[in-house]
Amino acid sequence: MLVMKNINKIFQTADIQTHALRDFCLQVNEGDFVSVTGPSGSGKTTFLNIAGLLETYTDGEFLLDGEDVGTLNDNGRSRMRNQKIGFIFQGFNLIPDLNLYDNVDVPLRYRGFNAKERKRRIEENLERVGLASRMKHLPSQLSGGQQQRVAIARALATDPRFLLADEPTGNLDSEMAKGVLTLLEEINQQGTTIIMVTHDAELAQRAKRTIQVKDGRVSELEIVSPQMNQAIA
Amino acid sequence: MLETGLILRALARNKIGALLIALQIALTMTIMVNAIFMIQDRQHQMQRDSGLDEANTFYLTNTVFGQDYNIQAHLQTDLHMIRNTPGVIDAIQINAVPLSSSGWSMALQHEPGEDKDAVGSAIYMVDEHAINSMGLELIAGINFTQEDIELRKDGQSTWPAKTIITKAFAENLYPDDWQSAVGKTVYISQTQPMQIIGIVKALQAPWNGWNGVERSMLVPFHRESKGSYYFIRTEEGRRDALMPIIEKALAESDKERIIRRVTTVEDTRKRSYRQHNATNKILTTVVITLTLITGFGIVGLAIFSINRRTKQIGTRRALGATKRQIMSYFMMENFIISAIGNVIGCIGAVGLNMWLVSTFNLSPISFELIAFGVVALFIVGQLAVLYPARKAAMIAPATATRTI
Ligand SMILES: Nc1ncnc2c1ncn2[C@@H]1O[C@H](COP(=O)(O)OP(=O)(O)OP(=O)(O)O)[C@@H](O)[C@H]1O
Ligand SMILES: [Mg+2]
Repeated sequence: MLVMKNINKIFQTADIQTHALRDFCLQVNEGDFVSVTGPSGSGKTTFLNIAGLLETYTDGEFLLDGEDVGTLNDNGRSRMRNQKIGFIFQGFNLIPDLNLYDNVDVPLRYRGFNAKERKRRIEENLERVGLASRMKHLPSQLSGGQQQRVAIARALATDPRFLLADEPTGNLDSEMAKGVLTLLEEINQQGTTIIMVTHDAELAQRAKRTIQVKDGRVSELEIVSPQMNQAIA
Repeated sequence: MLETGLILRALARNKIGALLIALQIALTMTIMVNAIFMIQDRQHQMQRDSGLDEANTFYLTNTVFGQDYNIQAHLQTDLHMIRNTPGVIDAIQINAVPLSSSGWSMALQHEPGEDKDAVGSAIYMVDEHAINSMGLELIAGINFTQEDIELRKDGQSTWPAKTIITKAFAENLYPDDWQSAVGKTVYISQTQPMQIIGIVKALQAPWNGWNGVERSMLVPFHRESKGSYYFIRTEEGRRDALMPIIEKALAESDKERIIRRVTTVEDTRKRSYRQHNATNKILTTVVITLTLITGFGIVGLAIFSINRRTKQIGTRRALGATKRQIMSYFMMENFIISAIGNVIGCIGAVGLNMWLVSTFNLSPISFELIAFGVVALFIVGQLAVLYPARKAAMIAPATATRTI
């Protein structure tokens, strides 16, 4: 479970202060699939970065899996990222010099798994995203959609409870985007909590829950998606 | 280490930069090790014992120009006067000074006759005061006596019947047992017998670049020559005060000669090794400069590759890498590059040394020196990469989402 209470984030540069999040409150439950929309500059990435422990917040309270994130130091945050969070980026962020196998291996090495365990997880997750046959390929030899699948395999390999995605389909055409979203839905059905920032209203609607961020605040909560409506009906 | 395999594979895809630095390390290693070797070789040469009491000895030249000058009589009065000057321990007439780079040499052989193997040696013509005047240590046999001293005319080709040689010379003549040299008869000028009556611990020849520099012999001669050296040993600390006194006393006692070049043995040593010192300074500068250039090269490559990989580093942090793990990634990467450079460098160093050995007659390089070079360059590499690696560790995890 992820709980944010009155989170503020102020970016302080030489002479400008940017209040990126204002008294931001949100609860995300186990197994949720939350899509986050909102205008550019509204604070979506800032929220996701804080949720994913990539950035610290100025004040407020943030509990992740019951643990008070504010008490963690840099090492503690790194460890928590590695154990509980999987990231998917708009630009895929694969390491260009490493083949798919090694790319998925990176977070597993930080975790300290032995070679056998790593091999099992790498193969299993590449299998899961349908790219097991291309393990020895370099990222540059794949299409964008395939690269994002590798990134998803990498994010899932550590068995995270949360999968955070910032515009995961932003660099993909709509066909590929739909494919990636279908994959995310499958993953969510298998129990991983997903928070996804997106500009694409159609994709956002496919999430179980949609929130909108405006001016650093959650402006709408608990919009039940059409799918959910169908499921209820 | 955690990521060694991944680092190796990533390096393999970016060979050129890494290889260039590895080659630079190799070149530095090659030159560094051989330069240090040459420095050490020179230092070792400079540290060799001349055998003399260098701190308390000096010499001067005595050049006679008077007609019908009784050299023999004047020599006796000069030596008598110097030896009786308060503060003087002893003095001799001598034909050449160790370390001075000019002198005489002869060869000794076991059997008389031509075409026999003869061993070259510096030759010092002195009397029974030589051991005391030069501060030599007689370690076997006996000294000359006054009766042994013969008068030698300029150009004379016969030699006295006795000699005292250095231990190094004895070892060369009698490799199995140098002490057995005492009492043995050897031949000088191919045919003239000469008995070895004593052995001194050390006395260098005048030429420090000669590989037989430790081989010297004393022969009991007073020279009846218009030019010769007086070599004087004083009590501790009195040399500098006595030098002008003796110079003046000699000059004033006899107007038919000139006293010149009053010089301490210490100054002679300095002059003798001036070239060595200069070369060592140049080599040291080369080693330091080269090491610095390599260090800066490593810093440059590391900063370049870290700037290029900013987003990748942010992503690694997002995937759970700690600052430490980011730092150790670049330290390890440098370690691998250094290892490659060092392997090539070892081959280069030994190769260059083999060439130096065969071309300039140097001795082969020691394993310790190569080990030192390897360790030194690993340390230089790790130190050089420390700052860039710290910079990399400071890259914010949010870089993963904030950069395109
Ligand atoms: N490192 C930073 N320093 C200063 N200001 C920042 C920084 N990062 C973000 N901001 C500011 O914080 C505000 C929120 O930014 P954020 O990236 O969260 O917006 P966003 O909703 O993700 O926008 P977009 O849809 O364009 O990605 C913006 O005004 C942005 O300029
Ligand atoms: Mg954004």
